[in-house]
Amino acid sequence: MDRIRREFTTLTLVLIPVAIAINVAVGQLVLSLKVPLYLDSIGTVLVGVLVGPWAGALTGLLANFVWTITGLFPEAVAWAGVAAIIGALAGAFRTGDWMKVWWKSVIAGLITGIIAAVLSAPIAAYVFGGVTGSGTDALVAMFRGAGLDMLGANMAQGVVSDPIDKAVTFFIIWAILLALPDRFMARFSQE
Amino acid sequence: MSTPTLYIPRSSELHALHPLTKIAMMGVFFVAAATLPNLWWLLALYILGLLPLAACGRVFQPFLKSNALLIWPFALSLFLIQGFFAHGEHVLLQLGPLSLKEEGLWLAAHFTVRLLVWLGAATLMMIVTRPDKLMLALIERGMPRQIAYIILTALQIIPRFQDKAQGILDAQRSRGLETEGSLIHRLRMLVPLVAPLILGSILELDERAIALEARAFSRHGPRTSLTELADSKSQSVLRWVCLLVMLALIAAWIVRRTS
Repeated sequence: MDRIRREFTTLTLVLIPVAIAINVAVGQLVLSLKVPLYLDSIGTVLVGVLVGPWAGALTGLLANFVWTITGLFPEAVAWAGVAAIIGALAGAFRTGDWMKVWWKSVIAGLITGIIAAVLSAPIAAYVFGGVTGSGTDALVAMFRGAGLDMLGANMAQGVVSDPIDKAVTFFIIWAILLALPDRFMARFSQE
Repeated sequence: MSTPTLYIPRSSELHALHPLTKIAMMGVFFVAAATLPNLWWLLALYILGLLPLAACGRVFQPFLKSNALLIWPFALSLFLIQGFFAHGEHVLLQLGPLSLKEEGLWLAAHFTVRLLVWLGAATLMMIVTRPDKLMLALIERGMPRQIAYIILTALQIIPRFQDKAQGILDAQRSRGLETEGSLIHRLRMLVPLVAPLILGSILELDERAIALEARAFSRHGPRTSLTELADSKSQSVLRWVCLLVMLALIAAWIVRRTS
């Protein structure tokens, strides 16, 4: 309880909506640049890393509600739980000092991506019939063609696309942590 | 300021309902679509349930349009993937090693219509409910108001952030940043685009925090709200009926499953 209360200061509360807006703005920007990534959880990972796992989880959860309310991505709410876990993992990796070295951040991103893929697959398979209505469905079709069932094909698709996406996300956050002034970082110190 | 929400202001009975009543109604559609076993039931749910509701909310056209835009990528992928890869006996079309099977198409139709009901219910709810009233209703039932602050603020600042991102993209392009080219190149250019957006916005956080504290944001105790929500006895009854229907649907589903 004490830990949760310490994470949710007024500064955290103003950071979270900004982080959600970053998720949306960067996600849309990446879409328009035709890079085969989502990068729609940069803000969530940022909060997890700056503040802690609870704040990261709340950011992920609410970000997906916001995606739904905006109508840009109405099905997002189905993945709100996965988004929360991504935020919590980001916080855990920061506590474990993984965000200080670039290659450790990349590994943290890969691990987060694999966990996210495994958790997303049943949702995609059982709620959405195995599709997301986006370009990654071509991968799902390929794995189905190779003989995997619905859940297996979704998991394989996720394991191919999610870790790269999260590794790039964590790498960008590592670069941003370097650029942030110490006096700002001190405001979020976890001790 | 324009907020990028689905909400369409109209004066209708559906708009005037208490947000919780609308949540309860949409909950029935959600549970029904999840538990009803038959494609035709699901189709009836959409045509005889959601479409008349949208007409009653005087948002029939925008509702239908947003649903159509939303569902077609899903439908396309579903019919292709399930049609060709689901197990089945009745082959309709043979394309080399791939065969289009009747069972797969039925499965795809089932998933498509179920998604249509789910997404339809969620979008209709958002089209006829002002986000701040929805939040107020939830606060009155015990949701922390910090959650409402986060969601409503995010909705408000998203357009500004999208403009900012576009501005940064334009600025970097005018300095000679190549946004076309190989994949590796496009990946490398993400950092000069994303970093200014994030750094710029987190350095202004203090101002936001001070503005909130100056308005006693973290003070404890009751608050007065500018907007008031109208509720009635009959709506309360309707909500209980919705809850009972949901429970009945779930019970029927469990009975079918176990028998």
